[in-house]
Formats: sequence, C-alpha cells, structure tokens
Amino acid sequence: MFTLNFLIRRLTQGVVIIGLVSLLIFTLLRVVPGDPVRLMAGGMAPEALIEKIAKDMGLRDPIIVQFGRYMGSVLQGDLGQSFVRPANGAATGGANFNDTTRGERAKVLTLILEALPMTLQLAAVTLAIALLFSAVVGIAGGLNPSGWPDKLAFYISSVFISLPNFWLGIVLTLLLSVKLGWLPAIGYHGFAYTILPAVVLAVEMSPVLIRTLVGAVSSQMTEPYVSVGRVRGLGRTRIIANHVMRNASVPLLNLLGIQFSSLLGGVIIVEYIFDYPGLGLLTINAVLQRDFPLIQGIAIVTSAIFVVINIIVDLVATTIDPRLDY
Amino acid sequence: MQINPDFFVSRAFAQSGKTLTFLSAENITGNWDPTAHTTLSQKNIEGFVMGFLTRTPMKLDKPDEVVYELATDIKLLDPNRLQIKLREGVVFHDGKPFKAEDVKATFEYGARADRPAQWYPGPTETLKIDTPDDYTVIVDTSKGGYPAHLFMFLAAFLPMMSAKDIAAGPGGVLSQRLNGTGPLKFVEQRGNSTVMVANEGYFKGKPAIAGINFNFVGDSTTRMLSLMNGQASIVERLEPEQVDTVKANANIHINRVVSVENKYLWFRCSKPPFNDPRIRLAACHAINRDVILEVLGSAGHASSNFVSPVKFGYFDLPNYPKFDPAKCQALLAEAGFPKGKGLPPLEYITSVGFYPKTKEYGEVLTAMLNEQGFNVSLTVLEPAAWNERLYHRPGGGPGHMVDCGWSTGSPEPDLILRTHFHSTSHRICGIEDAAIDASLDKERSAPTLEERKKILQTETMPLIASKMPALSLFTSVMIHAMHKDYAGLFIYPDGSMDASKSAA
Repeated sequence: MFTLNFLIRRLTQGVVIIGLVSLLIFTLLRVVPGDPVRLMAGGMAPEALIEKIAKDMGLRDPIIVQFGRYMGSVLQGDLGQSFVRPANGAATGGANFNDTTRGERAKVLTLILEALPMTLQLAAVTLAIALLFSAVVGIAGGLNPSGWPDKLAFYISSVFISLPNFWLGIVLTLLLSVKLGWLPAIGYHGFAYTILPAVVLAVEMSPVLIRTLVGAVSSQMTEPYVSVGRVRGLGRTRIIANHVMRNASVPLLNLLGIQFSSLLGGVIIVEYIFDYPGLGLLTINAVLQRDFPLIQGIAIVTSAIFVVINIIVDLVATTIDPRLDY
Repeated sequence: MQINPDFFVSRAFAQSGKTLTFLSAENITGNWDPTAHTTLSQKNIEGFVMGFLTRTPMKLDKPDEVVYELATDIKLLDPNRLQIKLREGVVFHDGKPFKAEDVKATFEYGARADRPAQWYPGPTETLKIDTPDDYTVIVDTSKGGYPAHLFMFLAAFLPMMSAKDIAAGPGGVLSQRLNGTGPLKFVEQRGNSTVMVANEGYFKGKPAIAGINFNFVGDSTTRMLSLMNGQASIVERLEPEQVDTVKANANIHINRVVSVENKYLWFRCSKPPFNDPRIRLAACHAINRDVILEVLGSAGHASSNFVSPVKFGYFDLPNYPKFDPAKCQALLAEAGFPKGKGLPPLEYITSVGFYPKTKEYGEVLTAMLNEQGFNVSLTVLEPAAWNERLYHRPGGGPGHMVDCGWSTGSPEPDLILRTHFHSTSHRICGIEDAAIDASLDKERSAPTLEERKKILQTETMPLIASKMPALSLFTSVMIHAMHKDYAGLFIYPDGSMDASKSAA
C-alpha cells in the first residue's frame, strides 16, 4: 500500500515537473535569437515566404497557444517532426524549405529512440566503472580515516575533479587510441567504442562518489552498533559487509540519482568529442541547428528519465532504510 | 567534391582494397537531387558518385584548364551554339546507358526556375537543346541572348543525371538517392554516414578501393584524432595549429592547396551608411589585409580580386583598395563624416566554428575600423545563428557588415560576380547599381572567352573595385590531412583528386 501511494504521489509530482520543464524549454527556445523558419526556408527566402511558413506552422501564435497545441500532441505520443533532419536521420543543413522535392522529415521520437539506447549504454558502463573504482578507493579511505588510503582517496578526488572532460577525452584518445592503439575512440562500430568515453565520464563522476563513500563509511564505523557488533563477537569483515556498507549505501544511492541525472548532461560534450551517436550528440546538433521540436523532445524525454530515476532511487532507499519517508 | 577518377583505378592505390573513410566538416541536406542545394559537402559526395562532362583542375598557373570525362570534345559552332560530343560505352549505376538524352534532360531540368541551386545562365525557356544522335548534344542559347560558351565551365560543375530519373519528376527517385556514372556507387545514408561502394562497371576500370564512407564529424579535433588513430583516411578543413601538431607524424601527409573560396567582408549596401560607396571604400582603406593574413597563418593566401586566383579572369586589380589611413580619412570627410564623427554605431557579424580564425581576425578587423573613427561592435555567432542573419533582406538585413566565404567548384567567375553584385541576385550585400549590372551583362554576353576575359579585367572587375560592395579579404587555403598511403593523392581547389600527380 505504501509503495502504491508513494508511486501515485511521486508520479503525479513527476508529471508536474515534466510539464514545467517543457514549458520552460518551450518558452526559452522561442525567445533566444535565431528564427528557425529562416533556417528552414533558407537564408535567401523572401520575408513573405518566411511569414507564410511561420503562420502555417502556427509559430506566430502566442507561446502559450503553441505550447498547448504541442502538449496536446505529446500526450498522444507525438513529439512532432524535426525541422531539418530527413527520415534517414542525417544531420543536415542548407536546403530550401520551398524545395518540394526535399525528403520526408524524421520523427522526433524515432530520432530519440535511436540515440537513447546508445546513451543509456554509455551511462551504464560509466556507472559500472565509476562505482567499481570509487568503491575500492572510497571504502578503503573510509575504513582508514587519516591514514594513507584516506589521503590517496582525497588526492585522487582532487585531481579527478580538476580535469575538464573535453581535455581528458582528447588526452586519453591520444594516449590509449593514437599512441598505444588499445581502444577505438571516434564514432561507434561496436561495444569497444563505449569504453573510452565511459572512462572520461567515470573520472568526472568518481570524485563525488569517493568523497561520499569515505565520509559515509568512516561515519558508520564510529556508530555504536559497530562496537556492539564487535562485543557480540562479529568479525570486522561481517560488520563492514553486512551492516556498515548497507547503511553507507543510502547516501550513495541518493547521490547516484543526482549523478545519473548530471551524467545525462555530461554526455553532451563527451559524445561530441568522441562523435558517439547518442542523445548528447543529437542534442548539440539540434541546438546548433535550432531544431526546436528535437530540442523540446529531448528535454521532455530526459526530464522524464530524471523523474523516473529519482523515484526508483527513493523507492530503493526506503526499502534499505524503512525510516526514510519520501 | 569532384574527384579525378584516375585515382581510384591507379596502381598507387591498387594494393589496399580498403574502404576509405572521409571525415567531412559540413553536414549534407536531406535531398539527394543535385539541383536542390549548394552545399559543398554534398557536392563532394556527388564528385565520387556522379559523372561530369569535364573536370577543371583550376591550378594557379592554369586556371582555365579543362579535362574531358563524359565529353570527348566541346566546341563552339558559333557564339550561341555549343556542340558536345559524348563518350560511348558509359552506363549509369542503375544500368541505363549514358546518352545525349541524359545531357539534354540534365540541362533542361537544372535550368528550371524552381530548382534551388540556380547555377545555369538562363531558365529552361531560353535554351534549345538538340540531340542529332545518341552521342552529340548541341546547346543553343539564341533565345536567351547569352553566349553558349557559358556552358563550357559549367560542364565541369554540373553532375549528369539520368533522363529516366528526371522523368520521374522532382519528387521522384532523384531526391532519394544518387545515380551517376562515377567510380563509386551510392548505397545508403546511415545516420551521418554516406555509404558508397566501388562501381565495378566504371568506364575507366574497376576502382581499387572497396568503397568510401563519407562521414560528417563536426568537431575538428575529433576529425584529427580519428585520422591519427587510423580510423579515418582523410580529414578536411584543418586549423593551422593542427597542421603544426601533425606535420611531424610520419604516418600523416598534409596537403595544402589554394582554394576556389574567397573570404569577404560584405557591406549591407542598401542601408546607411554603406549605401554610400565612399564609406565602403573608406572602410576598405582602414583595413590592413596583411595583418589579417598573419592572423590566419597557413589558412590564407593573399589575393586582390573578388574571385579566387584559380578562377577564370583573375588578376591583381590595380585599383583594389589597399591599407591607406589618409585615403580613409579623406573619404570619410568627403562623405560628411570627418574622422568618423556622425557615423551610426555599426554591427559586424561573424561566425565561429566553421571557417578558421574568423573570431580572431574579426577582432583585429574591428579594431582597425575603430582606429579610423568607425564605431564598430563585433557580434560572434555560432553557425546556425550566423547563417540566419547572413543574407540580404528588404531594408538591408541584420547588421551592417557580415563575414562569409563563397566557394563554387568551377572556374566560372560569374558564380561569384553575378550572384553577388548583380541587382537581380545580390545575395548578401544587396547592392543595386545599374552600371555594375550593365557591365556584368556585357562580360557575360561576350562572344568568346578571350573577349570576355578582356572585359572582365578592364571593365567589370575594376568597376566593382571602385564601388566595393564587399571586400575580399583573402583566398582560403584548403588543408587536408590524410594517411600516408594517400600521399600521392592530389587535391584540387574544388576537391578533385588525382593520384597521378604528386601532392604539392
């Protein structure tokens, strides 16, 4: 019953959040410089044609009217069509709107559904690498406060958090792909192409995970139940594995929800550098081309992902620690 | 890109049998119809797949050289009639034999007023095209009143389409795929990758490579890294700093060539203050182009004309404005703005991320103008926003000056001059000047190429230079980097490739 109430409440909140995000993005896109109709119609198109197209597409209506019309379609599962991309999905530019021979435009949902699995794969590999590395460094640091593992964890975190991802991506490509030839780097022709961008994102993500783990584990180790466990004859390994880690995982889990969300933002630069065909590359090209329907579609889908992840994280957290009330 | 197909059947490349991966800096359009766009990257793909009547190497020392491909002979029968003899035994990728009917259909279709590319000298109604036999075409321009020799340079620029495809109409197969006679066959568009495979029936012999993957990769660092780790075979539009980084790499060959592209400072001529030619000239005299070239490094080549040195008719114009502060001040005073006093604030729009160093030299150029009393602010935009503001509109268009290059893969100078400076087109600058129009009409109508060159160099180009609707700052240098296996590949100013000649 709790779970059902929880889900209904959070999903309702989620719908409101997605609606507000959509309205915000929708409004911002229409006030930034750059008339998408001129981009679609071609720079040489006469003003009269620009206005006609804009009017036909309803782009001169009040923003709230446009938004209402758009959300009406979204509720029916239609995120619209890209302004510029043809059905084959290529990033395009330069054609004329009044060219009647132009190919059919791609559906926004199709473009997103093609790119999303690539980004989810990248995010999953990133999380796996980041969690594994952070667990080793962070737990060791937390179990030895003020000792060398703690200092090492601090230094690693400090260095990692100082590395810009675009710089690290280039350096790692030069080292691991160009010089050593261990890993492919650019584009996507198989799973191996995910590893290098995932390492870059994992380096970006690890410092926060490491510091959280160090803090959570060291704090749990000072809790009375650890001393009591020892008195009751429980071994250190068992106390740590069964009790300390379980309790220390709650803040980590909450953090993971936020980190995963920021990961979806971080992929924009990394996917662009590695020419990785995921949601990040799709987003950056959409922004550069003022492809409003695509930008809006991506914003709605990513905000929905944020909402769902946070609901899952909170649900799992309450399962681990029933005292929590979200 | 147009390629010299010899490269693909040459022994130099015969051992590899690999698929060549080309990384392009520019994306394509959503329409494969060659008459539907003017996008350079898509022209490059057409160069691999389509056949052309001729190819034009456009070398600095021989800008009007013509190499025959699908044509075996082109000659003027009289000023309004051009005879084209065609190569026999050539077939399109779909199996249709290439004949005179295809040339006729291509010319008539491409000249239609509704085709967006609009490269032809006149609309279809002004043309009469006869095909006395399957391998002879006679282009008659009597009805249009312009000379037939205009088709000689255009023959190297216009891909030959199949009459069967054209018959299906603009909404038919033309827009969905490429069907040509070139060494590579179009297979499909996979996301941002255009997939081509070797055309085994190519009339010069089976290509040695298995195919080409032509990929759009927007970031220049990514393109370079991809070349360095061996994933890419050839990358284009290198920044000068990247050349310095990779020139010591024994596995990479760098190719530089003076291109067909000039970079311009376009004035909005239809609104104040640049509707006064004296103010335009004053601005031109305020700019030291040598300093701009220093900023550009190896990406720029000095030129003093509105067209590239590799185009027909180029010469260093004697009256092309040079850096001369005294002249600038005299012109400003004469126009009623001594030391720039009374001039409105001016906006100079440029882009960042497409052409090399635009922001850097834009800042220098702005400082030079301000030093002479202009009140210029620089607006730097990413390409989409810049492109949205680029062209002339009624009233002049956004800003007062815009930075843009113009590149056309043909020696034909009118693809620049007429496109930009004739009142019927004036795409960016918006100039409407009866004297320039008359001079452009006169050079276009010259009965022979020799006479046309004379009019261009003694009348038309000097006249435009006396009114300066745009200042051509320099000619771009096209920099390609490629794996050493392709070192023999010569890349011409329009992207043509020829392995039989060593790369300069």
